[in-house]
Amino acid sequence: MTPDISPADPALASDMVGSWTASSVRVRLACIPDIGRTEPTLEHAPVLEHVRVAADHVLTTLDAPTMASRAEPGQFAMLTVARGGEDSPVLPRPMALYDWDAATGRVDFLYRVFGDGTARMAAWPVGELMTAVGPLGRPFSLAETTASLLLLGRGIGICSLTALAARARARGVAVHAIVSARRPDAIVATDFLERIGATVWPVVDTDGSSDVERLRARLDAQLRDRAVDQVAVCGSERLLRLAAQVGRRLDARVEVSLEARMACGLGYCHGCSTGEKGLASEAPLVCKDGPVFLARAEAIGKAQ
Amino acid sequence: MSTQNAPRRHDYGPDLRVALGPLGLDNPVMPASGCFGPELGSLFDLNRLGAMVTKTIFFGARSGNPAHRLAETPGGMLNSVGIPSRGVDAFVEQILPEYRRWQTPTIVSLGGLSVEEYWDLADRLRGVPGIAALELNVSCPNLEAGGIEMGASPAQVEAVVRGVVDRSTVPVISKLTPNVTSIAEIARASEAGGATAITAVNTLVGMAVDLDTRAPVIGNMVGGLSGPAIKPIALRMVWEVRKAVSIPVIGCGGIARACDALEFLVVGATVVQVGTATFTRPDAMLGVIDGIADYVRDRGLESIRDLIGTLRTDRGAAETAPELTLAASTGHPAQPAPSRSVQR
Ligand SMILES: Cc1cc2nc3c(=O)[nH]c(=O)nc-3n(C[C@H](O)[C@H](O)[C@H](O)COP(=O)(O)OP(=O)(O)OC[C@H]3O[C@@H](n4cnc5c(N)ncnc54)[C@H](O)[C@@H]3O)c2cc1C
Ligand SMILES: Cc1cc2nc3c(=O)[nH]c(=O)nc-3n(C[C@H](O)[C@H](O)[C@H](O)COP(=O)(O)O)c2cc1C
Ligand code: FES
Repeated sequence: MTPDISPADPALASDMVGSWTASSVRVRLACIPDIGRTEPTLEHAPVLEHVRVAADHVLTTLDAPTMASRAEPGQFAMLTVARGGEDSPVLPRPMALYDWDAATGRVDFLYRVFGDGTARMAAWPVGELMTAVGPLGRPFSLAETTASLLLLGRGIGICSLTALAARARARGVAVHAIVSARRPDAIVATDFLERIGATVWPVVDTDGSSDVERLRARLDAQLRDRAVDQVAVCGSERLLRLAAQVGRRLDARVEVSLEARMACGLGYCHGCSTGEKGLASEAPLVCKDGPVFLARAEAIGKAQ
Repeated sequence: MSTQNAPRRHDYGPDLRVALGPLGLDNPVMPASGCFGPELGSLFDLNRLGAMVTKTIFFGARSGNPAHRLAETPGGMLNSVGIPSRGVDAFVEQILPEYRRWQTPTIVSLGGLSVEEYWDLADRLRGVPGIAALELNVSCPNLEAGGIEMGASPAQVEAVVRGVVDRSTVPVISKLTPNVTSIAEIARASEAGGATAITAVNTLVGMAVDLDTRAPVIGNMVGGLSGPAIKPIALRMVWEVRKAVSIPVIGCGGIARACDALEFLVVGATVVQVGTATFTRPDAMLGVIDGIADYVRDRGLESIRDLIGTLRTDRGAAETAPELTLAASTGHPAQPAPSRSVQR
């Protein structure tokens, strides 16, 4: 069940978890109410297949029926990258649930082969079991009243947004997705998004189209008459600021999925603190209090 | 021995019961502090554990260290979480009740930034139901003594332990830091202070540098090294502590499989703690317990207690000792055998 929260929910007002300040705008993050989380499970899941989807990107499918039956958009899994006879690498890798099918038990992860752990995942023999824990974390919310959803994903950040897009499309919500990457060969998930009927805008650094000011102008032009009720963003602080400003202008709810180094993914190791300083007690944890947080732009000094 | 009366929550077949003074345990496997939480109860049955150990708590609320708090290293990891704590009252009211959902004895880990903070915690926790023992994490800086780690000073360790023992009705375990010249000396100070048992060891201080930024990877500059990489050091220190004191020793450091745990038992640990391996595989402790049970059965031992402290250091041991090749069931990776993941 995806939580249905009205943007005016007073419970969201407090509980500040972080803030980014840029020129005239400060983005404040707050925890969303803990109502959409599902019970995680541990599965020894066979790897079903790997598909290379872009230059450095692989889609790996696990047979993890319990996780598939409980997953919600925005949740993630912790995948053990040490194989059966090995005790290291010691840390499992956090990976967003890209897509799944509760009927068949299939769960997909799309990732960039980056370091040792993701290289091991991509090379995992098909049929061999992988220890997988999930679904973890608080999911994105999708209000019943939402008619139009804007997604902003940078790099592999888009992988945290695909399931939300699918959920929204299944409810008939219009979905516009900005998929930003450094180079054209690092653009992923656009086929998935197009297939489910989202409007996709791929943008890249190499031709300048991913420039945030250009995106802002383009969004201003395109969204003038088309209201957006909800914005979801992942993978870039600059896109987060842009999302928060768009949300403020259109009075839309903005949620962001954050990343952090993780060891347990469950909330007991305290390794993934959002790190907000000056709090009397501990700052929220990305794995347990997130990874999805509510974002709000606030003008400081002159109006934005 | 008191373990004879301990209720058995789970039938392992072989007799795996051990005791830390008056505290009887169903089996010798428990988590290491900070590497466990009741959250794991949704992944496996926590009643199967010998005991549960809480993350270290402080008297007041603490916020912990800046990001990054974690870094992976070859065969291990660095952490400098900085022990965030909601304070003892929140612990008693909100966290401890979570642990009480299981019958497994709960050991509460205490920290302090002064000798008195440990004593105040002991006062506050005296008589609180659901606490089977206290473990004193003395790897904390003493802010009243120039910030030097309390665990490096035999006199301070003895004072901390004695004060807590005087204020408690439950067994007190002293958990030692490996970052000292003579761990035997600190162990003896713990015993003199009245500790029921000693845990060895906490993490080794380490560092990692990001070559892109030339900044330390860890937000706190340095962090504690844990995982398989520290096992040989931890094993050596447990052996040294075993020789220095007569109270039970809890071995900790790099234990991921039954074969690791059995090595600690042979050098003299009565109990083992599993830390980092639970991150790698949340059900790692179950593999350790099952592998120990298999070993006891396969070797025809009457109980696991017959193995503890049986290290052979005499010349010619190699010729006269019984066959030392561990059974595959202990999880010993004789050769990298990835397909064995099926059995985990
Ligand atoms: C909630 C969440 C969801 C994620 N979803 C995806 C996804 O769908 N697709 C994808 O490609 N990536 C995703 N990531 C990032 C992914 O976890 C890292 O890219 C990955 O851990 C890198 O591992 P490595 O072994 O290849 O790199 P290494 O550099 O070898 O990793 C070393 C250590 O640093 C950690 N680390 C390195 N980069 C990151 C990072 N960006 N975030 C968190 N930890 C990191 C690793 O987990 C590991 O512990 C997600 C991260 C989080 C927190
Ligand atoms: C993330 C993390 C947090 C830890 N927190 C604590 C703690 O709160 N108190 C404590 O006494 N030890 C703490 N430790 C140390 C462990 O309990 C253990 O002594 C150490 O990690 C060595 O064991 P291992 O190699 O099995 O992990 C922590 C270790 C890690 C990795
Ligand atoms: S990763 Fe352990 S608390 Fe978040």
